[in-house]
Amino acid sequence: MANQQIAELRALANIVEDLDYYQLLEVERRANAIQVRTAYHAVARRFHPDRLRQESQDVVSAAERIAKRVAEAYAVLRDPRRRKVYDQQIDGVGGRRLALVEGGAQADRQVSDQRQGRTPNGRRYITLAQADLAREDWPTALRNLQMALTFETDNAWVKEKLVELKQRLEAERKKNR
Amino acid sequence: MPELAIGIDLGTSNSSVAIVRGGRIEVLANAYGETIMASAVALHQDGTIVVGNEAKANVVNEPASTVTSSKRLIGRYYFSEEVKKARAICAYEIVEGPEHSVRIQIREEVFSLPEISAMILRELKAVAESRLGQEVTKAVITVPAYFNDNQRQATKDAGRIAGLEVLRILNEPTAAALAYGFGKGLTQKVAVWDLGGGTFDISVLEIGEDVFEVISSCGDTFLGGDDFDDRLIDLLADEFLQAHGQNLRQDPRTLERLKQAAEKAKKALSVEDETLIELPDVAKAADGSSLSLSRRLGMAEFSKLVHDLIQRTFKVTDEALQQAGVLARELDGVVLVGGPTRLPIIREAVATYFQKQPKTDVDPDVVVAMGAAIHAAELVAPQQQAFLLDVTPLSLQVGVAGGFCEPVIERNTPVPIEQSRSFTTVQDDQETVVIRVYQGESKRAEDNELLGQFEFSGFPRARRGQVEIQVTFAINSDGIVDVTASEPGTGQRASTRITLSSGLSDAELQAILSRNRTDRVLTEMVARAEEAAVPHAPPPEPPPARTSATRASAVRPGRPAPVPAAAPTPPAPVVEPAVAATDPVVEAAVTAADPVVEAAVTAAAPVVEAAVTAAAPLGEESIELDGDADEIPELEVESDLSEAEMDALIAGSDESLSGAAAPQAPAPQAPAPQAPAKKEGKANLFEAVGTDLADVPGGHDDDEEIELA
Repeated sequence: MANQQIAELRALANIVEDLDYYQLLEVERRANAIQVRTAYHAVARRFHPDRLRQESQDVVSAAERIAKRVAEAYAVLRDPRRRKVYDQQIDGVGGRRLALVEGGAQADRQVSDQRQGRTPNGRRYITLAQADLAREDWPTALRNLQMALTFETDNAWVKEKLVELKQRLEAERKKNR
Repeated sequence: MPELAIGIDLGTSNSSVAIVRGGRIEVLANAYGETIMASAVALHQDGTIVVGNEAKANVVNEPASTVTSSKRLIGRYYFSEEVKKARAICAYEIVEGPEHSVRIQIREEVFSLPEISAMILRELKAVAESRLGQEVTKAVITVPAYFNDNQRQATKDAGRIAGLEVLRILNEPTAAALAYGFGKGLTQKVAVWDLGGGTFDISVLEIGEDVFEVISSCGDTFLGGDDFDDRLIDLLADEFLQAHGQNLRQDPRTLERLKQAAEKAKKALSVEDETLIELPDVAKAADGSSLSLSRRLGMAEFSKLVHDLIQRTFKVTDEALQQAGVLARELDGVVLVGGPTRLPIIREAVATYFQKQPKTDVDPDVVVAMGAAIHAAELVAPQQQAFLLDVTPLSLQVGVAGGFCEPVIERNTPVPIEQSRSFTTVQDDQETVVIRVYQGESKRAEDNELLGQFEFSGFPRARRGQVEIQVTFAINSDGIVDVTASEPGTGQRASTRITLSSGLSDAELQAILSRNRTDRVLTEMVARAEEAAVPHAPPPEPPPARTSATRASAVRPGRPAPVPAAAPTPPAPVVEPAVAATDPVVEAAVTAADPVVEAAVTAAAPVVEAAVTAAAPLGEESIELDGDADEIPELEVESDLSEAEMDALIAGSDESLSGAAAPQAPAPQAPAPQAPAKKEGKANLFEAVGTDLADVPGGHDDDEEIELA
């Protein structure tokens, strides 16, 4: 490996703790899944420890340090659930690293929070809507979901269900016509 | 001279060695022209050791001193299900070693599993050296993708014992993908469907020009071609029992004959629709007359016999595709690996599942060795042309209060990776925590594989929950795990590689290295020395049966008899590999239809007139075989999985996949230093911080739990 690349590698290893996952993979915040994968391959190729067998031990361990963080960045950014949690974390006051299992668990909790509702009234209407959905009483479910949304305007689960329900009702209307 | 590094496929049933030279991949053949060598080790009475097809042929004569399928035991605990099963069906003696490890006892000698594997590696190393005419010290060794840390570490130890520097422990499906796609500039998404002798692996890879990225890998280390043979053995033995009232499984030698007949029949069904299984003089009737076994077996009947085993592979395949987030029809190709994939019933099932014909242009028996050779060459080359990005196939978890586990690194996370988690003490003034590390997918600790444990102490005493311990887990590119613990308050560090209860300690490894029993392997070069010493008998006619009537069936049709290990010959002086250099190197071109090259090479192998090693007296070493012990538990046969079933499958993969839901009793036998630790006033439990354990029963209920765990 050329001296310049080794210097680059050492420099990166020194600041690796200070970079967020987007900086590590050198992708933009809005990068899609394919761009993330391509970036992972590019960075992994550049600093792959396998390329450094002939180099000194400190260069190899620097490369390993980078490789571990690059893999971690990829594990978060390729997974929409973890990526969402991570984005919220770095937009807020959170650190630049996300524990992989935490990311998954937190995303699961968010989904389950949304399904149950976060406010007393929201919960009430969500519970009603779920019963309506189970009964296949679509118009009533629609009304209850709309009510729930007035109490929890950012509830993604409710929004998603509403879109689904509207499509379903639209399709049925067309069929009946 | 360029640095040479070999690739070794160390299989359950068969092994191969390959190398890349001058830009070509060569699968190296032994003195008999065989590129596929049985993973069998025969330990003769005189102390010599013979490895390979010859050892396998000898198993009917000396079942108690011939070790086969030892890969099924490597890196496992003595109390594990697999070891229990092996003890019931193996003619060689499996004994317990220190710390619940597994050892094999042959006569007076006790061997660790890495030592047995090292003998196979030693032979392969010798084959390579004699073909290449120079010493070989570096190798890439493959393992099933689903191998856990213990099994990987044990394999690495085996390499070291055999005198090899193991450059990389490489996953078999990844190696196969490399052999399939290397240097072709492909951009494809492929599945590698790998059914070996003892294990099943499925990996989904994205191949992009110079990058081989594994997206997901799943497997079953309890499922392979051997299981197909076992079904057939059961059928034959049960029918014989019904017809003649005799249990053929009771005599180890007869059982070995049955095994070989079953394997032969399976292989025959890879090319024919029907086969005839014949075992003459297999038992004696009450009146002293001899009884024979003769049975026709058609493809349809065999297919029915193993149907559920094949279904099991597709459950695992479902899982791998789901983890990768791809649909079967989205894949560009399916690569088949492993001898059993030659079976038409398997090819058809795979084609149906993936809705496309699997790739058959790569020889499924040697593709893994070829891939290992490619990677080995890459690792010693100054410039790399391909990069492997692999994943860890098993979740890494930590034991917490209540007999549960908390994941730290989930399966199919790219490696190398490092993750940390914080834990706290659960008792006031707790002085020690014991960190127990597991691999597996279950929330319950006991359902996962315990990799090992280590103690961490020396942190300040405080009220419970006040001491924070940070544990860092790292998995390297070999899939091997490293654990470090520290207490951020004082910065104290406790660092240890996981101490493997089933593995070898450094001291043991040193002892094995200094004893160097693998030196007793009559390697290829030694065999050649004998060959040179013995007058060449003319034609390769199988010799008449000498030791027993079973001799003939031990010889594979179409091959000359293997050179028997001339019984009391002391290890002959090593011959310079000049002989080897003139021998044709067998090339397994990617398209080669039949990897076993005969003709010229085999014709040269002389039939040695030396006495066949006397059959070992059975005596005390014979093991009582329980007729039912090797029966495989009932398995689910359904192919369509409900979501709930799939969830259950994923949640408790071990249980539902192996079907061995038998209440395991590892708890009492498991490495349980808890009891003594408790006497010394140590508390073993700690729980995760920042992890919601409230809904985990017993998660916070520590005082009582401490008694238990």
